[in-house]
Amino acid sequence: MKKIIGMVLIIMLITGCSKHESEEAPLSLVKVTHPTPSLIQSDHRDDDAELLQSIEKDVEDYKELYDAAIVKNKDQILVAYKVKHLQRFHMKKIEKKLKDSLEKDYPDVEFIVSSDFKIFLEVVELHEKMKSPEFDVKKAEKKFNNIVELQKELT
Amino acid sequence: MSGQNKKTPDQEKYQQLEQKHETKRPVLKNCIRAFWVGGLFCVVGQALTYFYIYFFNFTEQTASNPTVATMIFIAMLLTGFGVYDRIGQFAGAGSAVPVTGFGNAVISAAIEHRTEGFVLGVGSNMFKLAGSVLLFGVFSAFIIALIKTILVYMGVI
Amino acid sequence: MLKGKQSWVFSSRPAIAATGVSGGPFEANGKLAADFDILHEDLWMGEDSYEKAHRVLMEEASRAALRKGQMEKKDVQFFLGGDLINQITPTSLSARALEIPYFGLFGACSTSMEGLALASFIINNQGANAILTGAASHNAAVEKQFRYPTEYGGQKPPTAQWTVTGAGAALLTKNNGGSVPVTTSATIGKVMDLGLTDPFNMGGAMAPAAADTIAAHFQDLQLDPSHYDLIVTGDLGKIGQETAYELLTDKGLNIDQEKFQDCGLLIYKENQPVQSGGSGAGCSATVLYGHLINQMKQGVYKRILVVATGALLSPLTVQQKETIPCIAHAVSIEMQN
Repeated sequence: MKKIIGMVLIIMLITGCSKHESEEAPLSLVKVTHPTPSLIQSDHRDDDAELLQSIEKDVEDYKELYDAAIVKNKDQILVAYKVKHLQRFHMKKIEKKLKDSLEKDYPDVEFIVSSDFKIFLEVVELHEKMKSPEFDVKKAEKKFNNIVELQKELT
Repeated sequence: MSGQNKKTPDQEKYQQLEQKHETKRPVLKNCIRAFWVGGLFCVVGQALTYFYIYFFNFTEQTASNPTVATMIFIAMLLTGFGVYDRIGQFAGAGSAVPVTGFGNAVISAAIEHRTEGFVLGVGSNMFKLAGSVLLFGVFSAFIIALIKTILVYMGVI
Repeated sequence: MLKGKQSWVFSSRPAIAATGVSGGPFEANGKLAADFDILHEDLWMGEDSYEKAHRVLMEEASRAALRKGQMEKKDVQFFLGGDLINQITPTSLSARALEIPYFGLFGACSTSMEGLALASFIINNQGANAILTGAASHNAAVEKQFRYPTEYGGQKPPTAQWTVTGAGAALLTKNNGGSVPVTTSATIGKVMDLGLTDPFNMGGAMAPAAADTIAAHFQDLQLDPSHYDLIVTGDLGKIGQETAYELLTDKGLNIDQEKFQDCGLLIYKENQPVQSGGSGAGCSATVLYGHLINQMKQGVYKRILVVATGALLSPLTVQQKETIPCIAHAVSIEMQN
């Protein structure tokens, strides 16, 4: 009996803490999602969409990675990616390599790259939220900045 | 410090005889047990990490702090309820090496010396097992950092 | 009376008038639970520290012995006892409550027989009419002092032994006839050290001391092992007992393997997690004063030789890499018709 109560309490605690409304985001831990890149604010939407497409292709061409979520706001591009399990030993090296090559290929924009799963999760969530019309640019930008802040946090 | 290097023939002979009767540590069995129990601890830890990533604002980098705290908290409960020493007897290194083993070493000493009061009992004996881990952990970290700094300075790395 | 090199013969045959035995929860689940006078359900025994619980054990065993012997504490001249804790405080504190003139003994786990031999000697030489003697140990208190905290999750090797929580006390009086167990002789052992250093293998360290004392006993008293129905060692455990048996065989003493037992192996069930067996000052005291005396009274054994073994180490000597010095004392007990 005690065990059952305990289980129920734990389940309630877990579901109670849940703040994810989307369905796709929680699943991104277990499966490859290949989310479409999003644009928040841009002066040339068409050009940027093309740019993002090409960046996504470039990133996913890396054999050490297997999934990438990209979002662009003004001149900042956030690239979150998942590293293949056995390549996780070289995580720092991969990050440096990716950032350097992206900066070389696309010199006009600022890149923020992260292999952190939390960043990936948040980017996917941002993608999904942007699909709804109530989620305006201001909100999106705020969330984007939050993610960038989160990425800078170290401890 | 007598007799640890020079053994008399009698001692030598007896020790050989005694060895014959001594129950050997089941090393392979201990290794297997340590592997899977230790692995189980890590699975719990990993699950907690994902829990903190999903439901709270922690990244993979930052989620390790609350995870360690939670694991130590669980170890504290298990120690207090007298379960951890049984796990330890079963799993050996499997339960001693993860951070929970460190927590157990501190907490068991704290519980043990509670009867001697808070200052002279708990306070002074809490780290009697874990204290050397802290000391030599910090010391070796310092040495390694020193070596790395020198190597970087010399341009090797 | 001295006989041979290191043995006493008690010609007046002091009588073990009564015994008292107390134990803890682990012993209550053991093989010999029925032979305990008092069994506690938890290790605290209603006290707020394990050391105080340790004192309670000793006190209760002593009081049980007095009660069963129908004697008041003023009728008893001396109290001889000891335990394993620093400065044997639990026994000293129980002596404070008993108010009997007191000798504190330390012989590690051999204290029970050290006390019985000395008590017999004093009574045999008209030094007293009645003496209370006993020994005690408490698992958690002893573990705390000698090893790690009780709740620490360290793995013990299969050679380790489990410290008995319990106390045994005997009331020794002048022989007034009747059907009682009596002590007939005792052999005091010398300290043996064969260079073992592992505090988790005390049985192996103590075996030579036991073998030496047993051999000396038969040598001094010019007896053959077949004289005894049972030769029982204190707390050698599985490893020590086998080793001691081989040592004795090597010395040319042919003991029937059935008749060579160990208190540390008698007290617990096979399925209890005690590794190599029981140990501690309370081990030989509880098994002898409880189980074995009962068996003698039931006529199972007529003559037994009890050899309590002790490892005279301290945590300090272990850390300073000192080898483990060991001792064993033997007392022969006979059922008087």
